[in-house]
Amino acid sequence: MTLTSDLYNSRSKIDFAPIWKRSLPISLGLVVLGVIITSVFGVNRSIEFEGGALFSVPVEQSVTVGEVRDVVGVPQARIQRIENADGSSAMRVQIPTELASEFDRVGADLNAVLIPGEQISRDTVGPTWGSQITQSAVRALVLFFIVVAIYLAIRLEPKMALGALVAVVHDLVLTVTVYSILRIEVSPATVIALLTILGYSLYDTVVVYDKVLENWIEPANRRKKYSDLMNESMNQVIMRSVNTTITTVLPVASMLIIGAFLLGGDSLRGFAIALLIGLLLGTYSSIFVAAPLLAWIKERYPDPLPEKI
Amino acid sequence: MKSHLFRAAALFLAALVAFIATLVSGNQPLLGLDLQGGVSVVYQPKSDNVTDEALDEATDIIRNRVDALGVAEPEISRQGSTIVVDLPGVEQQQRALELVGQTAELRFRPVLASVGVASPFPISEDCPQELTIPEDDDPAATVLLPSIDGELLCLGPTLLTGNALETASASIAGGLLTGGGNAWQVNPTFREGPDGIDLFNEAAVLCNTQTIECPTARLAIVLDGLVQSAPTINVPFFNRDQIQITGNFEAEEAQDLATTLRFGALPVELEAQQTRTISASIGTDVLSSGVTAGIIGLVLVAIFLLSYYRLSGLVAIVGLLISAMLLWSIISLLGEAFGLALSLSGIVGLIVAIGVSADSNIVYFENVKDAVASGKRVITSVERAYRNSISTIIKADVVSLIAAVLLYVLTVGAVKGFALYLGIATILDLIIAMLFMRPMLLWLAQTDAAQTNPRILGLPDNAVTAAMLRKQGGKKKSSGSGNQSESNKKAKK
Repeated sequence: MTLTSDLYNSRSKIDFAPIWKRSLPISLGLVVLGVIITSVFGVNRSIEFEGGALFSVPVEQSVTVGEVRDVVGVPQARIQRIENADGSSAMRVQIPTELASEFDRVGADLNAVLIPGEQISRDTVGPTWGSQITQSAVRALVLFFIVVAIYLAIRLEPKMALGALVAVVHDLVLTVTVYSILRIEVSPATVIALLTILGYSLYDTVVVYDKVLENWIEPANRRKKYSDLMNESMNQVIMRSVNTTITTVLPVASMLIIGAFLLGGDSLRGFAIALLIGLLLGTYSSIFVAAPLLAWIKERYPDPLPEKI
Repeated sequence: MKSHLFRAAALFLAALVAFIATLVSGNQPLLGLDLQGGVSVVYQPKSDNVTDEALDEATDIIRNRVDALGVAEPEISRQGSTIVVDLPGVEQQQRALELVGQTAELRFRPVLASVGVASPFPISEDCPQELTIPEDDDPAATVLLPSIDGELLCLGPTLLTGNALETASASIAGGLLTGGGNAWQVNPTFREGPDGIDLFNEAAVLCNTQTIECPTARLAIVLDGLVQSAPTINVPFFNRDQIQITGNFEAEEAQDLATTLRFGALPVELEAQQTRTISASIGTDVLSSGVTAGIIGLVLVAIFLLSYYRLSGLVAIVGLLISAMLLWSIISLLGEAFGLALSLSGIVGLIVAIGVSADSNIVYFENVKDAVASGKRVITSVERAYRNSISTIIKADVVSLIAAVLLYVLTVGAVKGFALYLGIATILDLIIAMLFMRPMLLWLAQTDAAQTNPRILGLPDNAVTAAMLRKQGGKKKSSGSGNQSESNKKAKK
């Protein structure tokens, strides 16, 4: 019997214990490292969070950044060339919010380098708007964690609620860390993608925990070590985890490859990268973080045994 | 056992009917600006303590202004404490936006003449020959403006503004004696003192005595360059709360006029927090990439499900199809009824929903496989596994729903759109799991084909053998699949 056919028939006997022994401390260590990296280097925040004006101007190939800088005439402007997959190119011009009085003039002057017949896209964001949006999202997030923790504590177990939330925070922190290291711009699209990851990650963990709970109820399993029971349950749900990862990664990967790289579409890329990283992390954390963490908590702080009558 | 098939088919048919009805009625999802290009502005009140009523009123007034400008398919919505104005197209919109945010003033101007109607009064010489454009609409100037009824009026300098007004209401006039059926009237109430009723009475004297400043005896109420009403002043003196504007008002006209008087100017001062101009070509690019990516993603998922789960996979795919048809209908309906547009974040929410929906199916199928592998009959496994799976699926979906509701209530803009479609798709996932996935699998499981060859359902085919072997307490490992079907047949006998 090969491993694949064992997996297919839910009869695999992978011993997760030695893997878990390493994966849990390594993952938690990475989270700490991620927090440090992110707080030192910060993230590359998009205009929505910084405030200011952003112009996107379709230009001919021959136009240089220097020429655009001359037209803009504002030393603080950030100018960047974007090459699209279809061979066209555009200039992104970002002007900080302190120079609000210059916005209209710059917008008008940029017509000089614009390909005739095309349009300039323009975003203007008030200086406090981004922080307001962020605040409302953070407030929603905190409330979400509280409500979900209560829900999971009731429907599953309080210890499971803790394990699930640690796994989610693990996924969020590491996704943001990747953004921080690769200097990918964090936009509202990224925030939405992060919220999605949250949902997937919890779904994965709930499925694993639900299986342990189901097995734990069997009287024959009560005497087993919790980590052994977790090991068995993990073998039972591993194919589900792999398969759902495949079905969720397929649409996201096609969004990334087709949407962002073949046809062009800057805004799609923002979603797809975070989603892809987060999805893979979500599957990883449900198997290698949430599961061993619960087993560790359960063995360290065992549940009181049911009283004998 | 056919009832299972009927129940599953009923949901499929319902979805199909909804989808076809949507197509036939020509209803389509309303596209957000990021998908078709346009200008989008988020306005926020400058002060913090603004009532809900004031914000609703401001939203209505802005909607009226935009409609008056003739912009096609504008979308004006209140989101929390902000007002979002979305105008498709880019060309003329910048000017439109300047007008939208203005806190316009309600002005009372004397009517100098009604142009185009033979007038017995001498027409003032400084009356403009052409319609006054908004930029020249100075309070102190003599202007030529249209009325709501299409009358062209030459108006003198502003005598008083909406600041003098306290409130206004609409009511049914005079009872039966008026004879005109339901004749509605509008009752403005002015403030007390020199800045209120006194100013109005000064104007009333001018008009009632038909001085050169007000030769027609009519006083026009003007908002945003449009004469809302131009009643004749019948007496030279009014008490501040006993004024009636009568005419052949319909109920709605009277209420509109009362609203205009009450909230003539925007009741709140607004500030543009975010302005986005998206060129049409970028919008179309994003839409086509998003749709292409979605379709290819779906096809890949379908191929995977089919090859791994066989007929069960087909059930999952039809479930996705039902979900897609219902979503299309719901999104179209939301666009038609509430002007809710589908934006890029919404599309992402939907692509995510493909994954979640497939996820629920996989949780179920894997549980069925477990049960079959542990030696239960196919039909028993399908029924048992459902109980475990639906509890898992509900737990996971409730978590998604909590996220969707909280995000929808507490955030604005793109996140809100994402939350809405995530929530709808999650509810559909539950409905389809209960009303389609389960009955379809139950029906399939008791067909002869599935009983003799569980492989077509993507199940391991050594089910019964495994059970028999276990009972004998003998070898734990099952033999190759060559003699498998034989033992199956034996077991059946």
